Amino acid sequence: MAKGYVGKILYVNLTDKTTEEIATADYQQFGGGHGIGAAIFWDRVKDKTIDGFHPDNLVSFMTSPISGTGAPSASGRTEITGFGVQQYPIGWFTRSNFGGRWSAMIKYAGFDGVVVQGKSETPVWINIVNGKVTIEDATDLWGLDTHETQEEIWKTVTGNVDVRDWWDAGTIRDGGRTTAKPAVVCIGPAGENLVRSAIVLHDAGNGGGQGGFGAVLGSKNLKAISCIGTGSVEVADPADLMDIRMEMKEKFGFNVDDPKFEAPVPGVPMYGMTTNAPGYASLLWAPQVPARAQGCHGCFKNCRYNLEGGNGNGDICVEGLYWMANGVQADQLKATDLLDRLGLNVYDVMGHSNILALVKMGIAGPGMAIDTEDIPFDKYDTYEFIEKYTEAIAYRKGTFGDTLAEGLTRAWVKWGRYEEDTTTGVLNRPQWGFMEHYDPRLEVEWSYGSLFGDRDINEHGVNWHAHWMPLVTAAVGQAPLMSAEELVTHFAEATGVGDPDGWDYSAEGIYADPKLKAVAWHRHYGRFWIQSMLFCDWAWPQLVAYNNEGGVGATPDYEVRIYKAVTGEDLSYEDSLEIGRKIWNLGRAIWTLQGRTREMEVFTNYVYDVATSAPYFLPVKENGEWSYGICLDRKLDREKFESVKDRFYALEGWAVDTGWPTRAGLSELGLDYVADELDKNGKLGA
Amino acid sequence: MADNDIKTGEEAQANEYSRRQFFAGVGGVGLGAMLGGLVVKGFFLPEQVMALPASEGYLLVDTKKCAGCDTCMLSCSMVHHGRVNPSLSRIQITKNPFGSFPHDMEQVQCRQCPAPACVEACPTGANHVSKENGNVRMVDESKCIGCERCVYACPFTPSRMQWNHEDKHAQKCDLCADTPYWNKKGGVGGHQACVESCPMRAITYTTETPIQQEYGYRINLRNHHWGWLSLDTTDFGRESDFTLPVAPVPPAAS
Repeated sequence: MAKGYVGKILYVNLTDKTTEEIATADYQQFGGGHGIGAAIFWDRVKDKTIDGFHPDNLVSFMTSPISGTGAPSASGRTEITGFGVQQYPIGWFTRSNFGGRWSAMIKYAGFDGVVVQGKSETPVWINIVNGKVTIEDATDLWGLDTHETQEEIWKTVTGNVDVRDWWDAGTIRDGGRTTAKPAVVCIGPAGENLVRSAIVLHDAGNGGGQGGFGAVLGSKNLKAISCIGTGSVEVADPADLMDIRMEMKEKFGFNVDDPKFEAPVPGVPMYGMTTNAPGYASLLWAPQVPARAQGCHGCFKNCRYNLEGGNGNGDICVEGLYWMANGVQADQLKATDLLDRLGLNVYDVMGHSNILALVKMGIAGPGMAIDTEDIPFDKYDTYEFIEKYTEAIAYRKGTFGDTLAEGLTRAWVKWGRYEEDTTTGVLNRPQWGFMEHYDPRLEVEWSYGSLFGDRDINEHGVNWHAHWMPLVTAAVGQAPLMSAEELVTHFAEATGVGDPDGWDYSAEGIYADPKLKAVAWHRHYGRFWIQSMLFCDWAWPQLVAYNNEGGVGATPDYEVRIYKAVTGEDLSYEDSLEIGRKIWNLGRAIWTLQGRTREMEVFTNYVYDVATSAPYFLPVKENGEWSYGICLDRKLDREKFESVKDRFYALEGWAVDTGWPTRAGLSELGLDYVADELDKNGKLGA
Repeated sequence: MADNDIKTGEEAQANEYSRRQFFAGVGGVGLGAMLGGLVVKGFFLPEQVMALPASEGYLLVDTKKCAGCDTCMLSCSMVHHGRVNPSLSRIQITKNPFGSFPHDMEQVQCRQCPAPACVEACPTGANHVSKENGNVRMVDESKCIGCERCVYACPFTPSRMQWNHEDKHAQKCDLCADTPYWNKKGGVGGHQACVESCPMRAITYTTETPIQQEYGYRINLRNHHWGWLSLDTTDFGRESDFTLPVAPVPPAAS
């Protein structure tokens, strides 16, 4: 077997409270992470029409051969797969992903991943210590928040040993020692209460946020999975991996002592997207209290903060932006801390701003048809508001809280406003009930990828450069760091797609064939490198490098080199994309069995009917000339998008009329058994 | 906060010496000792006393610059052993993810003590001062009998000695003297994997013996570029001096 893997995957049957070891070698062809999780799901979930709360739903927490090795920004992330409960109208087979150190620790503890299925009658947690697995009673943990839960588990597993000291993993000299505390992934009260937007959390701020996996675990009465280990991960060529780390640090890293270039003004963390400076994950707020940069296991960027007071530790991006209405950073971070502790997905519950719109429109309020009960939207800019709102959802307080706990999308459906508000854009949720993340009318590899998939894709590799770079430079009064033409040329080369027109976001470009090739590349690269090899989405791919001579980024050379240095195996970049395509198609087959049809793959109406009205930077090619357009007055055209579907389906080997995978397409990928299952169910594309 | 429970040696306790007397090398078992920042290679002592030369290299860590990414730990175990395992790392980063900065993490490097209790404790001389490696204190694995006296002798918490439970020998920071899995030359006068791999450049190497203080070898390596990122540039314990970067500093040329 390739090096890097530790060789076995833990399978836990929560109904019988039995465990089994799955040989990782049986699934190596799917790589790791999402690929292995999806393959095991395919094999062990017989009825793929069940919903996410059904005990047969199988949830994987999966690593890759690269996890835990110190490969740069590819060591600390864990992929979760299973049926979700967040998506609307169907809880698609979906994924989430979290950083920190759990993926490294589970390998040091002897497993490449943990898979759970079934349902325990009473609350339990899984305790893994150096390969030894026990299913523990979680009665005393049930009701605790995510931070309290972890601290209690640490006490149970490592006793009173201080965070600063060695803990003996065994009872004899050779049992191994570690100074680390157990790596725990757990649910909070929201998950326990089956809130559809409930997350799983690890350490202070690493959230597996999308899909409602917190509620799925809650439905299984599984409070936490804890692991601690003192074992080693084998690396095929350690000297080469060290060289790679040093090269990446010098060529692409931010030199904190003497940077090649830095933000032209202080207090603009988001500029760090271009410089790779530490601590940029907050994006829009800089610490007003003493803080350090903080990073996941093996990262070479370290994008988070740890702060005085601890609130906001390890949080990124929108988690830190959950509520900012009173302009007091300490309260803003207190709200984020509450979110983490109760275990809620910011990307659903921050729709409090959409509810505020209804209040301002006179449609929602205390005692009205949409009764906001005692949640004080009239005091939106007070901490009291956000505390009451967040707790109402996590604890299903009142009818209002209980309604929101089904996810804001389903709340809108219940209130009879979903059609109207997604038509006007008051509820800007373009597909599958997910909040708009980037403009679906413009940044189409994001919107198409999300719609043809299972969720908001949340894959930033193109987005950092195509959208954010021109935006952050404009925000600080600079010219873009690279011309649009040079940027798209780098994209074409680094991705291997070859045609820069793939990144033409003009009104014509977004429907053209080159764009569809770029969208397909994005799916395949993401499924393999980001979601199966677990290279961090905030560091990979590196399509461009502004601090490097010539602007050339690390992709695709370094991914391939890292894979070889760790596993000892040669995997060409082209072959890696084929594995990604295989994993993507396996997912497509599952969605097909779940009921996906071509007719369902449409955006909500505002995407087609409401024109863009704020500048939005993206490369556009107009009259043969490249520039960064601001894309005003743009809508997605319904007919042209239907034509996109015809051609994208064909490109991916799916039947044009249904969008279902075909036997020819699946066969090419070695997935004949998948074609057989689709055929048996009358869902094989013709 | 670090290392504030320094134990006095058994010998000093038995003879009721104060630390000051101990370091001045008065009677008993004296060991090579340093005062202030002076480097002393050896000095006149009574015949029964053993004097150990000071290490020619030391690691210094900026505790507030560290991001807790564990890269140093992963690199250390990899260059020494060819496999990755934080339990086998000779530098440790201890963390409380929920902690309040700057007490949320600590960097636990071997101090290459002028008076190395671990060397003194070793009954076979496995843990020794290596003359051929710039007097770094390191373990000759072939002589280690696994008694772990060195692990318990280290006066600091956590112990800077590791028991390698896979290869069955004690080990400690050797300033990368013995790193077969690296394309660079380590050791005193060479490179250190933790120093070079740290993405925050939070670890540095010095040839001057640091002042022996309770809290260990702390240093402030953060300059105005760090402050420009709105991160704290104050010395440890001086967080009350933290200010936001209001006065523009000319950025590095692009």
